[in-house]
Amino acid sequence: MAIAAFSPEWAQAFKEEINRSPVYRQAAKDWKWTVGLVVEAEPDRNFPESKGVVMDLFEGQARDVRVGTAADAQACDFVITGTYSRWKQVAQKELDATRGMLQGKLRLKGDLPTVVRYQKASQELTECTTRVPVTWPDES
Amino acid sequence: MHHAGAGDVAGRELEAAGAGPAVVEYADGDDASAFAQMLGGLIKANVASRPPRRRDFDALKARVGIVVTDIGEAVTLDFQGGRLVVSNGLQDGRDVTIRADADTVMQLSNVRIGFAGMPNYLESTGRQVAGKLLTGRLRIDGLLGNLTTLNQVTRLFSVAE
Repeated sequence: MAIAAFSPEWAQAFKEEINRSPVYRQAAKDWKWTVGLVVEAEPDRNFPESKGVVMDLFEGQARDVRVGTAADAQACDFVITGTYSRWKQVAQKELDATRGMLQGKLRLKGDLPTVVRYQKASQELTECTTRVPVTWPDES
Repeated sequence: MHHAGAGDVAGRELEAAGAGPAVVEYADGDDASAFAQMLGGLIKANVASRPPRRRDFDALKARVGIVVTDIGEAVTLDFQGGRLVVSNGLQDGRDVTIRADADTVMQLSNVRIGFAGMPNYLESTGRQVAGKLLTGRLRIDGLLGNLTTLNQVTRLFSVAE
């Protein structure tokens, strides 16, 4: 059953997907930092306010994933920012997150060598989002 | 919770050479592409955190082009012995030009550095990179005659521990 994108239920489902992934568990076994995803508002797409996804990721597990404000996400160790449309493209596999960052479609804040070192874990996180069936506010 | 030493990828500050942080400049200033900023930021952070990389950075004088074939992005890295100027696109006078897709470019940064500071092409990531070189998915123009330069650049890129 589909869940509203960027809702608390979506965050819970995303967390469960991460914790079900043996690929993520292995690739991120030494990861110890928080990650924030800032989803910027696009009122014309029925996404009127920016949101933040706060992910407490620790040694291959998601300890917590919750939806909060953009400021909540910006307080994380690593922050990736993009518009609602960009994140939707990522979740629908139309935009690879790494390529998005190289093209400036997604903006990264955080220690770059660490992010590059954990590229496989990052890719698997993206895969996990694609496995959560969602409804999109601009399609409802 | 550990802290990763967060820094803004878009930072363009110029800092003193020598013992201080590596000098990385962007020829296109505020118009530097995201890819240029990422590569410049990666090298700067890598040099700052690893003294052996600093020696390579201070010694290296070469002009290196990098083309990400699947997204149409390119930069030129002009290493000037302790100073790096990053330009959007391919500039003239390159010693080495690396052409690969985005995944391979990221893989290049994960090649481990082994004995005597040589890139290790025997472990998993190194083998994959070597395989792509053999099959043409990774192209390096100017490889012959610039092996030392290529090894130095690989060390500057490498984030593998």
